[in-house]
Amino acid sequence: MRRRTVLALAEFLIWWAALLALWLVLVSAVDTLELAVGAGAAGLGALAATAARRAVTAP
Amino acid sequence: MNGWLLTAGVVLAAGGAAALLGVATGPLRRRVVAQNLLTALACPGLLLLAQAYDRPSYVDVALVLALLGPVGTLVFARLLADELAADPPRARTLTWAAAGLGAAVVVVLCAAVGPSRAMVKLLVTGALLIVGNVIASHALSGGFPGESR
Repeated sequence: MRRRTVLALAEFLIWWAALLALWLVLVSAVDTLELAVGAGAAGLGALAATAARRAVTAP
Repeated sequence: MNGWLLTAGVVLAAGGAAALLGVATGPLRRRVVAQNLLTALACPGLLLLAQAYDRPSYVDVALVLALLGPVGTLVFARLLADELAADPPRARTLTWAAAGLGAAVVVVLCAAVGPSRAMVKLLVTGALLIVGNVIASHALSGGFPGESR
């Protein structure tokens, strides 16, 4: 059970890092505000991606 | 007029005309392939235009097209699944030729832009374009039979 939680958290963090990197590549100028908004949007995206991945791959 | 504009014009005029002819005439299997290739031609054309006008933000148009074009083809693949199963399109050479054109344009533009965030954006666009078109072409030729219910 504990191992599964750690794996889920790791998956979320990997999605979050990848999506934040994508955000920072695509915006026109990198500054603090973009970083904050990007971190939030990447968090939402990572939640959705984790859920979608779970829905597709049967446990 | 510079070289970028000329290349964009040639890609859009020659490729676009050929693709439009393919969409408008011939059997269904040729039309869907031509429709799919139209994205693969228009996207490099838009990238070249962004470079020609020196407006890096215009790359966004090509990025959106690279994302939505293959999705549109997948809709056709789904809706026309029965007709396409009876007469499946085979466009391996054309698909890889279009992918090669996209890759060549992206590599040349990357060399022109130099290492920067803009170059990563170009690479993302190119990867989306090529992977999307290969997947869409695979779906058109019945590559995912379980999904065509």
